[in-house]
Amino acid sequence: MTSLIRILATGCALLCGIAAAQAAPPPDTLVVGLSADASTFDPAQISSRDNANIAKHIFATLYTVNFEGEIKPYLADKTEVSADGLSYLIKIKPNLTCDNGEALTAEDVAYSFNRPADKSKKFTGNSAGFVFPTLGFKSAEVVDDLTVRINLSARTTLALGMMAQIYIHCKDAYEAMTLEQASTNPVGSGSYRLVSWQRGSQIVLEKVKDPGRFKRIVWRIIPEASTRTAELIAGNVDIITNVSPDQIGAIDASGTAAVEKVSGTRRMQVGYNLSPNAAGMPGAAEIQNPKVRFALQYAVDVPGICSQLLGTTCERATSLVNPPNGNPDLKAVPYDPAMAEKLLDEAGYPRGADGVRFHIRLQGPRGRYLNDANVVQAIGQYLTDVGVQTDVELLEWASVYSPLLRAKKMAPLFFLGQGGVTWNPLYDMSLFSTPDATTNYQSWTDPRWFDDWKLALAAPSVAEARPVINRMLKLFYEEGPWLQLYFQPDFYGVSKRVAWKPRRDEEIDLFDASLK
Amino acid sequence: MASATQALPQPAMNYRRREFRRAWRSMVAAKWPLLALLILVCVIFAALFGPQIAPLDPNRQNIMLRLAGPLTEGRGKTLFLLGTDGLGRDVFSRLLYGARVSLLVGISAILVGGTIGVVAGLVSGYFGGWIDDVIMRLGDIQLAFPFILFAIMFLVILGPGLANIILVLGVGQWVTYARIVRAQTLSLREKEYVEAARALGDSTVSVIFRTILPNIMAPLTVIASFNVASVILSEASLSFLGLGVPPSVPTWGSMLAESRDQLLANKWWLAFYPGIAIVMTVLSFNILGDWLRDFLDPRLKTLG
Repeated sequence: MTSLIRILATGCALLCGIAAAQAAPPPDTLVVGLSADASTFDPAQISSRDNANIAKHIFATLYTVNFEGEIKPYLADKTEVSADGLSYLIKIKPNLTCDNGEALTAEDVAYSFNRPADKSKKFTGNSAGFVFPTLGFKSAEVVDDLTVRINLSARTTLALGMMAQIYIHCKDAYEAMTLEQASTNPVGSGSYRLVSWQRGSQIVLEKVKDPGRFKRIVWRIIPEASTRTAELIAGNVDIITNVSPDQIGAIDASGTAAVEKVSGTRRMQVGYNLSPNAAGMPGAAEIQNPKVRFALQYAVDVPGICSQLLGTTCERATSLVNPPNGNPDLKAVPYDPAMAEKLLDEAGYPRGADGVRFHIRLQGPRGRYLNDANVVQAIGQYLTDVGVQTDVELLEWASVYSPLLRAKKMAPLFFLGQGGVTWNPLYDMSLFSTPDATTNYQSWTDPRWFDDWKLALAAPSVAEARPVINRMLKLFYEEGPWLQLYFQPDFYGVSKRVAWKPRRDEEIDLFDASLK
Repeated sequence: MASATQALPQPAMNYRRREFRRAWRSMVAAKWPLLALLILVCVIFAALFGPQIAPLDPNRQNIMLRLAGPLTEGRGKTLFLLGTDGLGRDVFSRLLYGARVSLLVGISAILVGGTIGVVAGLVSGYFGGWIDDVIMRLGDIQLAFPFILFAIMFLVILGPGLANIILVLGVGQWVTYARIVRAQTLSLREKEYVEAARALGDSTVSVIFRTILPNIMAPLTVIASFNVASVILSEASLSFLGLGVPPSVPTWGSMLAESRDQLLANKWWLAFYPGIAIVMTVLSFNILGDWLRDFLDPRLKTLG
């Protein structure tokens, strides 16, 4: 009996020791729990938000969007814009280096722009897929050791904000690597360097220069929300993303961590797939009618979804533009199922003998957005309630949903969230820059929008573009390709060990994070 | 000489009656199998009459009533006996409908896997040679894959859905049956009554399916009873991983999966009831399987 007690006591001591060893990260280390792993560290290939959040600590940029949503110089020292707005002369700060010690000059900056634009390499990252088409990027050329000229095809007020998304890296290091090597061995210009990357498990960064207060940042990949919460409460991680609304109480009551809420800039919607790829699917013909699209807006109780499933009140969407940059005359469509039914009747889709107006399929991801599976199912129920018999299909994000999106082969209705900003309404509107833009997942082709888009983009300032912007947003409100929902609230769990504030734009900026 | 199944009608009936009486006495004496049988009768009843018993539509959502505890009263005196889930659906109704899916998947998958396995085992054991080698090596290759990985791989290709789940789980079971049937067939094919059937001019198909097969049904029944339990668990695991049936079809596994986020919030009823349902059903099948094995073992017959 005595030996049994000894064995048990030893076991307990060992377990406590292990728990204690795991519980507190060292004071110079910050541990962040993410829901998804990075897919690449090639600066020309990075596209997802989680991936970009890690990459921004490895790669510096010419400009940066600060906590308040203002664009500030980072590596750039001086910026001169030509009178026609088509040329940006940018002088970088002296004595910059990459994390391998190589001097960072204007040649490297030009290379950082030209490499992703190289069509022969078929890059699909954020730079080639979104930034360059929106920016109208033509070329980058070296003027002298510290000066680079960026040439654009059209004037745009988005230029500096878009340039803030281009990761600066050193030419010699990348010229010496294959694409495979570049995806796993980043040579950055930022304040941290990649030390190790255990796929699906963790990514470790080590500080090489300022800014940054922690010597090491560990990004742990914890896909399951309740596991992330448990790890935070146990003290194994300092910050977690995408806290499930139902776990906020548990975190706040834990005494070791608290939940920080921000009204995010991600625009949540049910997209209407208007592309020929959806033709023939049930409901695809009906949603081509703008009256049907607008009617369905009344059918969904968005405030109810927010209060019950997201655990908060949300900022309602009236267009694809983040507040306060939207059209002030537009008011969120209220939940009014009777009005939805009336409009559907008027649109020529009365209820049949079985109570059904028409059938439709709604697809949504599982685990990509805040409480997405439940939100999608609730939307399906609301649509069914007004006679639009909705068949809900939940799909895995990375291997199924995301490829379908890229191929624009979604069901007639699909649930989606697209990141936005507060510094320029045109950025948010640039999802629909052309009818065949990568981000025009709905394949919306209304010529009135695209004609106005050219006018808005060419205006010298946002203020001068405002009348056109408001006209476009009204069109989007009445006949657009979105069933508009809300701007996603974001919940972060933050350990009481650290001082850190989340941003609205989902960027995780750890440079100013510190121990309390 | 007639095969064992071709006895005279009256003695056969008397034999069956005696066996049923012996089975009942054995079950009553052991007690646990009786309880297991009772539980399974309840589950089967719920599966058959779920739509009639369920007080509410299992898919009817009301997010304003989400996460209500057991015995909560909704609008219009609706009683949520076991509470509501994260979308305000009635847990009791979903549990009843879930029984239907769990049993349907369990039994159908066994039928699919059993049919493939029995045919493969009979052919393999009866003909031997290269046919035996090919079938058994195919089985070995399949067994080299962890079953859950095999199922996930197939479901990613075929897509989730009730029919696909049944197919995958069924195909995953055939090797077990094939091996047992092959071993039995190898020993039976040399028996005198099989020789006699061949000598009387019975075709190969008749010898295999009418003479040999009826004589290996007892071990197959035992294996099937154990297998139903493991298939129900596998369905629950796949639904838990999101690879099961669509969200509109309630299953115990998917109910358990949906409860994950609520465990830290202390909404215990979301995991407790489907968890108990799975445990009780699986345990009952296992207990019955154990009893059946002992009951059909001729060496233990005097004890029965």
